[in-house]
Amino acid sequence: MLNKKVISAVLGIMCFALTLGICVQIRTVKGTNTTVSNNYEENNLRAEVLRYKERYDNKYKELEKAEKELEKERQNSTKDNSALEEKEAEITVGNKMIGLTDVTGAGVIVTLSDSKKDSSSVLNPSTLLVHDVDILSVVNELKNAGAEAISINDQRIVPTTGISCGGNIIDINGEKVGAPFVIKEIGLPEQLAGLSRQGGYLELLRGYSVEAELKKSNNITIPKYTGVITYKYAQESN
Amino acid sequence: MIFIAILIGCILGALIGMNAPMISYTYSSYLAIAIIAALDSVFGGITSVIKKNFDLKIFVTGFFGNAILAILLTILGQKLNVDIYLAAIVVFVGRMFVNLAIIRRYYVDKWLEVFEKRKGKVKEQNQESIEEK
Repeated sequence: MLNKKVISAVLGIMCFALTLGICVQIRTVKGTNTTVSNNYEENNLRAEVLRYKERYDNKYKELEKAEKELEKERQNSTKDNSALEEKEAEITVGNKMIGLTDVTGAGVIVTLSDSKKDSSSVLNPSTLLVHDVDILSVVNELKNAGAEAISINDQRIVPTTGISCGGNIIDINGEKVGAPFVIKEIGLPEQLAGLSRQGGYLELLRGYSVEAELKKSNNITIPKYTGVITYKYAQESN
Repeated sequence: MIFIAILIGCILGALIGMNAPMISYTYSSYLAIAIIAALDSVFGGITSVIKKNFDLKIFVTGFFGNAILAILLTILGQKLNVDIYLAAIVVFVGRMFVNLAIIRRYYVDKWLEVFEKRKGKVKEQNQESIEEK
């Protein structure tokens, strides 16, 4: 009897370990969102990229932690000094403006995705795609309409952001961003919604059967810029 | 009792696995090879039960030992820039197929036996009924 109990306990533990491992593995593979290619070399390259990305993410987390510590230290040291406190508040406002903090608020979400039409059905298949110029125009119009913070697929638009064509993807902040493009912006929603007006840019895109959608929302969170803004040449003029 | 324990273990493992934190991609290849090794041990265990030479000690040490050994070999292979894990996969999956074939043969034979017995019974009944007439 004891022997049977021991056997069943051991088998239970082993099944536990096996299913646990399988579940974790499946979730990890799903999480990394890899499409398994038949090419051995390609798989290796992708694994390497993922590994580097992970290392980058880890380092970035460390950086974030250090920044939080710095903030704490700064708050501690400026506690009893009103002049310093003022400067501190200035820094916070400045960070918000140049996009170094997460922000939330009301605004609109614009989604642009490539047309589902068959590319052989039109004269120029290029018109069915969302191009960097389209993104640029939309961002420009939104800025004109008073958007305070903009992100494209979670890439925050900051003063140093460039939007350029990179083949079948678009380079934003030096990161590769692919369709569909979810452009989130914070501002007065009614004003920003003017983007979809008659004769506006979104209508023009829809004319090319590109899918362009605009949605108002009261609760949009825009992530902060994940890179580092450096000013090497610009100096303050007195 | 054994089946209940296995079932509980599987359900618990699935539940915790669904909620456990994801491991980093660097280590997922090690986990994959460990899973393959463990699965191989399980099929080997079933085969040995069929062959009636099942030994719990050997089964358990094979289960964990093979998994750990496979992980270590994979790490060694990465250090030496040789894809040792490929060899491990070939060996383990090959053995899995062999064991599965043994299991399949056993059950096919068993079912055939049962089927034929039933057939024989039906025939006997038929003959009996004919004789009664």
